[in-house]
Amino acid sequence: MKALWENLFKNWNRQESLTKTVLKQIPVFHELSDRQIHEIENLCHKRRYKQGETVFKRLAPGEGMFIILSGAIEIFTEDNNDNKKTLAILNNGEFFGELSLLDSDTRSATAIATEDSDLLAFLRPDLQSFSKRSPQTGNKILFNLAKVMAARLRKTSEQVSKNSAELV
Amino acid sequence: MTPQNQSIDRFYTLVLIIISIWALFFIWPYISSMVMILVFAFLFTTILLPGVDALERKIKSRLFSTFLIMGGVLILLFGFLSGFASGLFQQSSDFSQRLAQENYVNELNDLYQRTISSIPGAPNIDDFEKPQLTKKVQVFFSSFMQQILSAAKSGMNFIFFTAMILVFSFILLNEYHHFRRALVSMIPNKYFEVGLRIIHNIEKQMSKYLTGQFLAASSVAVLSFLGLLILNLYGANITLIFFISIIAGLSNLIPMVGPLVGMVPAVLISIMNNLGSEAALSHLMFNIIPSPFFVFDIIFMFIIVQQIDNNLITPILVGESVGLHPMIVMIALFIGGIVLGPLGMLFAIPTAGIIKVIAQEIIFLVRYAHLL
Repeated sequence: MKALWENLFKNWNRQESLTKTVLKQIPVFHELSDRQIHEIENLCHKRRYKQGETVFKRLAPGEGMFIILSGAIEIFTEDNNDNKKTLAILNNGEFFGELSLLDSDTRSATAIATEDSDLLAFLRPDLQSFSKRSPQTGNKILFNLAKVMAARLRKTSEQVSKNSAELV
Repeated sequence: MTPQNQSIDRFYTLVLIIISIWALFFIWPYISSMVMILVFAFLFTTILLPGVDALERKIKSRLFSTFLIMGGVLILLFGFLSGFASGLFQQSSDFSQRLAQENYVNELNDLYQRTISSIPGAPNIDDFEKPQLTKKVQVFFSSFMQQILSAAKSGMNFIFFTAMILVFSFILLNEYHHFRRALVSMIPNKYFEVGLRIIHNIEKQMSKYLTGQFLAASSVAVLSFLGLLILNLYGANITLIFFISIIAGLSNLIPMVGPLVGMVPAVLISIMNNLGSEAALSHLMFNIIPSPFFVFDIIFMFIIVQQIDNNLITPILVGESVGLHPMIVMIALFIGGIVLGPLGMLFAIPTAGIIKVIAQEIIFLVRYAHLL
């Protein structure tokens, strides 16, 4: 009887998955309901990258964004003389490559796993087909994405004006 | 990897490919039925998937959504098949009874002679040939009925084949997204994004093609129904027009050959129903062209439907869904017909479309290979 009872209500005390917890923290998926987050979770692809493995290279065609579940990813660019310039080192719960959710342009930087990392890939074709099926949720995601872009643009503008002020 | 190692690697890959093709050639007869079942199940799944996905969002249960959609399809399928089979059986038995009557046979001979004599340049038939004609018609219909019976016997295979397709379709529909994710998880990290791109493009291509074809087939069915209805208003006396229209629509899925198949049941039923009617025998299309039993009217109507479909409906609804050159379409149909007969012709265009997507992605892959 106890076993039956536990079987019937096994989902009641189930812990939220790590994927769901991380997705909820990502600004792109803010204000989405549990059900919508669950749908997004089903769209994402879990990938494991070994230390030193390339996630994507600069100028390669991009298909979507990556979210770090665990591990660390280095984002960098290289000039013609192979001089490496690290742009960021991202850790758990952070994301990169989100520009590729909007267009099919090439990647602006290279991403490499600096330690064994578990990533969650959320790709443009999946977002496009999801938006067709659930336009409301799709719109919410795109609006959040626009907010992220706006914040980054504002930050870049501030940085540019600060740098120009310093130069003057 | 040194250039020498690369060459060895390429050599072994080539040997492996040749051995795989050779092995496939030998095991193909044993697995061909299973492969066909899976291909049909996949196509069926592609058609029904949007419906199941949409219903799942409403009732929040994948299993129940799959049950409802598959149940609806089965009810429609069995309703259509049983309705058409009983209608056709009734039609055939009525016709056999009418044919067995002696006075009807004489009438038939008379009408046949008049038909032949109305054709310019046709030789006159003497009395000696009359009984032969009746005998020929009776032999034809008895052999036709025998063929139907033998077809019913081999129908068990068809039922098994259909049941397997439905079972696989159910599983695929219910687990589609899990299967897709499992397939994607097998792609190495290096080719992950490109691999997903290929899968997505193939899905898009198939979905566009099937939706376009489904809409075009529905339009042909509706137009055929209207055409047959108009012919009936002019006294064509064609029964089972609902079923004939659906057959015309479905056979339209097989390019070039299908439209001809669509008009055959209409012509046969018109002859069956109108045999013995002097008005039908002496009918003139547009009051000019002799069209006994409305045969040429039916053929003309189906040609008009085909022209509307080819020049108006298909370009708008299907458009350039597959984006293949007509010459490639012809070659694909020819190869499909040789390899698998009518089934091969049915699958020729989507297969050619998939090959095109893969070829495009390979070109894309080669261009960006240094960045992967």
